[in-house]
Amino acid sequence: MARIELCNLVKSFGAVHAVKDLSFTIEDGEFVVFVGPSGCGKTTTLRMIAGFEDPTSGEIRIDGRVVNDLEPRDRGLGMVFQSHALFPHKNVAQNIEFGLRMKNVPPEERVKRVREVAEMVRIGHLLEKMPSQCSGGESQRVALARTLVTNPSTFLLDEPLSSLDAKLRRELRAECDRLHQALKRTFIYVTHDQEEAMTLADRIVVMRLGEIVQIGSPMEIYSNPVNYFVADFFGSPSMNLVAGEIVQANGATRFRSESFDVALPDSFKAAKAGAVTLGIRPEHVGVTLGGGGDIELPVRLVEPLGKDTLLYFDAGVERAFVAVTEGLGMAEIKAGERIALSFDRRRIHLFDGDGLRIAGAR
Amino acid sequence: MTVAALSAAEAPLQASPRAVSRRRAIRRFKLSLLAPLIALFAFVLMPVLLLQLYFSVHQWTVYLGSWWDADYIGLDLFKEVLTDPRFGWAVVRSLAFATGSTIGCFVFGFLLAYLMHKPFRGQAIYYIIFILPMLTVPVVVAYTAEMMLYQSGPLNDVITRLSGIEFKPSWLSDPHLALMTVSLLEIWNWTPFSFIIMLAGLTAIPKEPIEAAEILGASKWRIFWEVQVPLLRPVILLALVLRFLEAMAEFPKTWSLFQGGPGSATETLPVYIFMTTWQYFEISKGAAMSYIVMLLMIVIVLFAIRLLRREKRSLDKMYEQTDSPKVEA
Amino acid sequence: MAMTKSQRRRITSGVRYVVLSVWGLMAFFPIYWIISTSFKLDTQWFAWPPYYFPSPPTLANYMNVWFGAEEYAQTQYAISSQKPLISLYNSTVIAVTSTFLSVLFGSMIAYGVSRYRILSEARMFQLLMLRMIPPIVIVAPLSLYYTAIGLIDTRFGLILVYFLTTLPYAVWMTKSFIDEVPLEVEQAAEILGASRWRTVFEIVLPLIRSGLVATFLFILILTWSEYLLALIITKTQVTTLPIELSKYQGSTEGRVYGRQAALAVGITVPLMIVGLIIRKHLARGFSFGMVRR
Repeated sequence: MARIELCNLVKSFGAVHAVKDLSFTIEDGEFVVFVGPSGCGKTTTLRMIAGFEDPTSGEIRIDGRVVNDLEPRDRGLGMVFQSHALFPHKNVAQNIEFGLRMKNVPPEERVKRVREVAEMVRIGHLLEKMPSQCSGGESQRVALARTLVTNPSTFLLDEPLSSLDAKLRRELRAECDRLHQALKRTFIYVTHDQEEAMTLADRIVVMRLGEIVQIGSPMEIYSNPVNYFVADFFGSPSMNLVAGEIVQANGATRFRSESFDVALPDSFKAAKAGAVTLGIRPEHVGVTLGGGGDIELPVRLVEPLGKDTLLYFDAGVERAFVAVTEGLGMAEIKAGERIALSFDRRRIHLFDGDGLRIAGAR
Repeated sequence: MTVAALSAAEAPLQASPRAVSRRRAIRRFKLSLLAPLIALFAFVLMPVLLLQLYFSVHQWTVYLGSWWDADYIGLDLFKEVLTDPRFGWAVVRSLAFATGSTIGCFVFGFLLAYLMHKPFRGQAIYYIIFILPMLTVPVVVAYTAEMMLYQSGPLNDVITRLSGIEFKPSWLSDPHLALMTVSLLEIWNWTPFSFIIMLAGLTAIPKEPIEAAEILGASKWRIFWEVQVPLLRPVILLALVLRFLEAMAEFPKTWSLFQGGPGSATETLPVYIFMTTWQYFEISKGAAMSYIVMLLMIVIVLFAIRLLRREKRSLDKMYEQTDSPKVEA
Repeated sequence: MAMTKSQRRRITSGVRYVVLSVWGLMAFFPIYWIISTSFKLDTQWFAWPPYYFPSPPTLANYMNVWFGAEEYAQTQYAISSQKPLISLYNSTVIAVTSTFLSVLFGSMIAYGVSRYRILSEARMFQLLMLRMIPPIVIVAPLSLYYTAIGLIDTRFGLILVYFLTTLPYAVWMTKSFIDEVPLEVEQAAEILGASRWRTVFEIVLPLIRSGLVATFLFILILTWSEYLLALIITKTQVTTLPIELSKYQGSTEGRVYGRQAALAVGITVPLMIVGLIIRKHLARGFSFGMVRR
């Protein structure tokens, strides 16, 4: 139905290479999220799919057909823009029916479908209003409706939530999810927010500096990041990453850093000695009161958040070592105290000098 | 209606089978946008310029029947014009007039703009009054001048009464004063233009650097020279260049009031060309003169373009703004 | 001696008012003069000492000039009367039509420059500078060319020339407005199926409506007051108001001040009204990209 293939896409603006040799296939009905820091090429890629940018080289195929030279309107796509891009001089109903008018749908039918779609995204009461009278969340819903009504096979969404506040973002995120489940159409979503990627995507495409770094389900990306960058990018609070080296001592493989020394699980027994970075997510670092534990670190800061408490430790570097504990049990700990911590041994990651993950033996 | 029902209602849009080539569509669009411009050039501007060239190298007068009967005389006319002292004087007068009135417009325009760029009571009324002279049709300016500047006229009367000294220069009939009279009229007429541009430039300067300089102890003068003027360079240049070019072309006031006189005191280039062509009917000589003046102006204009573009580029860089993103060609 | 802030402010303010008022008077006096002269009886036109205020004010000049009322023709000044009302009609038609064409095609070209870069920045400046070549240098061949193709002494001929000479301004001014329309709005229209032409006329131009009006009025001022081209291209069939004024002579040395003043006021006052209406936009029209908003 709507299978989109990106084949060796390159986009350069003079000396700047926004996208470098990108190849990827989006399957019909998937929710794919392109995520990465600004400047990574995700928006450029989306715009190439839409047809607003011409690739410097490479092909874009929809259902096997090369569409490089097709106008955006002939590609069967719908797009929601970051700034919602509503027509300021038309009211909401006129905005929504625009696409239908372009296809010469007769007026009575237009009115019917506009009303249906408006009900679907719950803006039926806004039809007579002008965009300037709508709030940010309402405007974005109108933008969604405007695209929905034309019934495209694929939806392109360019950071649609970044101009909204946190609460609205969650609401509309849920909306996108709901629509995808119901319509079962392909959604191609671009964002720099890793939380959105994690919650919405069937598959995540992580991009950096114009290249794909990793492709996978949210689970895979989170649990098995392919390198330092991906590990650091996903997760909030971010993964703890400590520089150090692997040493062999007493027949056991250990990780040694400036502020602590910890035994590594057996899976890393064969790891070569040398400089590495240890990674472990804050939720996998446990506080062990009453002795025991793998390491001991002084507390720098305690943040009771309600549901969880965040503990920041001094690991000899500027970046704090973070542990997350449930509830407010640890909220009474004072800064400067030395606390024993234990690591969930299955969740330790090692990254080599180039940032790549060192796979442990099974 | 539920979402599920919508998705089942009809087949979703696919990539359309009969679609136009994007590249070709863009090409066609761009060409049709340019079409009127090209048409105007091809059907109006070019024939006129070519005709001008033709006449400048062929001796033609109105008495000859058709255009094509004229004899080819090569560059004789150009030589004649370039060695004609009267032409030389016309150039001098035009340059003097343009330079003088441009400087006058600039100085007064800047002064007014500087006094007006911070809000104060009654500012709006002053603004309205100041732009009125520019909205006065130049011919009307000329006729008003005629009504005011004759020797026993209101202007001299006012100045006499205000200053106590007998002030009766004959603005309109003294050859030594004539060119200055027109220059002053030009200044009166067009200072608002410089004023508006400079005011726009001054108000566009962000407040923060100026306030920062004030707190750091800079005097008004220093702030003026070291903060405001450099940021105003593009605007100042624009005001000077545009005014100068238009002053070189000034015709209505000079002609209506003086017709080149008294004597030849106000025979600027436009006036001299006009007289040559429509009073002496030396069409070919007028054509040669026009061409020389056109080349002269093109040189000045190209130079001006280079300056203005450089300023615009530095301005763009300073404010780190780019123009709206372009569609790929 | 250090001044307090409020002392300094008062002195500055005082100086400012003085300077501005002086210039204000100088700017306004000639305008006052011509308006007052238009209301003067002929005996007061060049009296010495001058009459600064018409006493009594009279409408005779207006009646005679604009409405051809013969009974107001004061005998010693026989006028070679043209028909100012016809000139008014001509001026209006010519100015409005050429301005409309200019703004219409100018905004289309400006759109092309803004979104599709159909003209480079260098060309844009060259276009502007084209307008700066003195019209005197092309008037002669233009009139011959027009005579040959039958456009001489026609309204259309003048409209065409005005269109050509004001197009650069139209392009520059409308471009600054178009640049402010967010590109995403156009892209949204495009992907929903709008053709390029539709996007221009249904989306972009309506969004810059006020800018188009300002540009229209600005260029109207230029075409309304143009003198040289009108002088050469019009002969007997067509006259515009500025030419009308210059033709308005009396039998005695042409000094029919009151009449000329009445004519002049009629020419220039509408323009002033238009100019005052768009005064907020004048700066944008003159800035040509040299001022950052």
